[in-house]
Amino acid sequence: MGSLAVDLFGKMLKNPVMNASGTLGYGVEIEPLWPVDTMGAYVTKGLSAAPHHGNPTPRVWEERCGMLNSIGLQNVGVDRFFSHYFPFFVERRCPIIVNFFGFSEEEYLSCARSIEPHDLIVALEMNLSCPNIKKGGISFGKEASAVHAIVRSVREVTKIPLIAKLTPEVKSLVEIARAACDGGADGLTLINTMPAAVVDVKGRRVSLKGGLSGPLLKPVALRAVHECSQAVPIPIIGVGGIMNTEDALAFLMAGASAVQVGTATFVDPFAMPKIIAGLDSWLDASGLADISAIVGAAHG
Amino acid sequence: MDDIPGKITENDRVTGSYRRLTVRLERPLGRVSPGQFVMVKVPDRDVFLRRPFSIYDSRGRTLTIVYRVVGKGTDALSAAARGGPLMVLGPLGRGFAPGRGNTPIVVAGGIGYAGVRMLLTRLGSRATLFFGVMEKEELRLAADLGETRVFPATMDGSCGFAGDVVSLLGQRLDDYRGKRPEVFACGPSGMARSLKALLEPERIPCQVSVEERMACGMGLCFGCVVATSDETNPYKRVCKEGPVFSLWDLSL
Repeated sequence: MGSLAVDLFGKMLKNPVMNASGTLGYGVEIEPLWPVDTMGAYVTKGLSAAPHHGNPTPRVWEERCGMLNSIGLQNVGVDRFFSHYFPFFVERRCPIIVNFFGFSEEEYLSCARSIEPHDLIVALEMNLSCPNIKKGGISFGKEASAVHAIVRSVREVTKIPLIAKLTPEVKSLVEIARAACDGGADGLTLINTMPAAVVDVKGRRVSLKGGLSGPLLKPVALRAVHECSQAVPIPIIGVGGIMNTEDALAFLMAGASAVQVGTATFVDPFAMPKIIAGLDSWLDASGLADISAIVGAAHG
Repeated sequence: MDDIPGKITENDRVTGSYRRLTVRLERPLGRVSPGQFVMVKVPDRDVFLRRPFSIYDSRGRTLTIVYRVVGKGTDALSAAARGGPLMVLGPLGRGFAPGRGNTPIVVAGGIGYAGVRMLLTRLGSRATLFFGVMEKEELRLAADLGETRVFPATMDGSCGFAGDVVSLLGQRLDDYRGKRPEVFACGPSGMARSLKALLEPERIPCQVSVEERMACGMGLCFGCVVATSDETNPYKRVCKEGPVFSLWDLSL
């Protein structure tokens, strides 16, 4: 029997599969179907220092092989998450990764500062796709210098391992990955959704602008993981269009130490348990002792 | 809540673009409250996400939904052959909760009838249905209702009241004075707005089933929200906190 357990920032996760932020609610909603600690870790919905209402509808739109969303980061705020939802994960001994965001450096810092280290908190995952309202709305994640600066600032205010989640909408993702790493990130999550639009032909208007997710994104994410994992020495969590075990294996082989599953859960709410079981069977058939042995197997 | 494989036993036209789909499930859906819904995986490559449908009827392992062909998903569903497989996630959401001792008035607009059908079955002769449609043919949807009294409204005047169903209810509302009326509604978004205007003066209790584009159907994605009067947290999930809300909590 091979082991699916992976070491992430010094914490052992029972498997390398977790949800993508914002695709598994607050973690409690999936419980009628399967226990949340089936996953190696639960990744929180994006949290901010103050609660956010989010965008008006429509917030989601279907594409042929994926979907667009424009939720607008609706969340109860970091304090409410820890008072109201965190005890649920403590009770289940389920490790979590806390995804957070801000619309200014101060908001990032205030959010990161408010999170106390805990043996179940594996890492903080910074969403760097947010617009910086003080810099004319340009996203924090688009310029290497801005990424370096914000990561370094946050790094200084927390002892918890720090992951930078990067937007693919950049000239050179490798350059951004290096900037995050130099700024002190302990890991990277690659990639966030791609900016996209849908046009309603009958109505001659744009139905929705939002982030594209789902299988359409997979090859883009795989390339990002493959290139960045060879450019930086820190662990990478791969995410983008993973629908099944084979997709998850592709990300691990491309160089991801763990994977996140998002949109697949909407199509099949059991996608993650199936992927975990599939990885287990694959590992047994492969004869390998440890799933980590295939991480980066596709490096050249 | 469960994700259950099933086989299509019926997928036929009722009238116009309305169709009835019956599925034989591998396991029963379990306890369903009227107004709850299911997420159906439409067996078509081009339909990526599941689609929400009100539970029209659920008995043992037999699930019935009635739907109108309005877009890509329902179009593909209408082409699904008898005997074909289907995945059904449910029952989902919070349904109607009729208050004891109240006189139930059910208001349906078009395909909104599918959202109140189970409630009507449960209430039996206690309820009255105000049913608004575009033209007479659509009234055939409610032909299977037994003892419930039906007041029809057609926009083209081909049967019953000529005009919208809320105006018809407005004419009849005095009949319920002193009888503790409680309204249960499902229909297009404009219907909820006119209901609010009609019921506002006496603030008659009203539960309304809300429709919104959904991705997950179980509260995971926050894609299907509706604006409420809760100032600290205005956007509620239609799939989780709804689809049935008190009309007086909605910000229409």
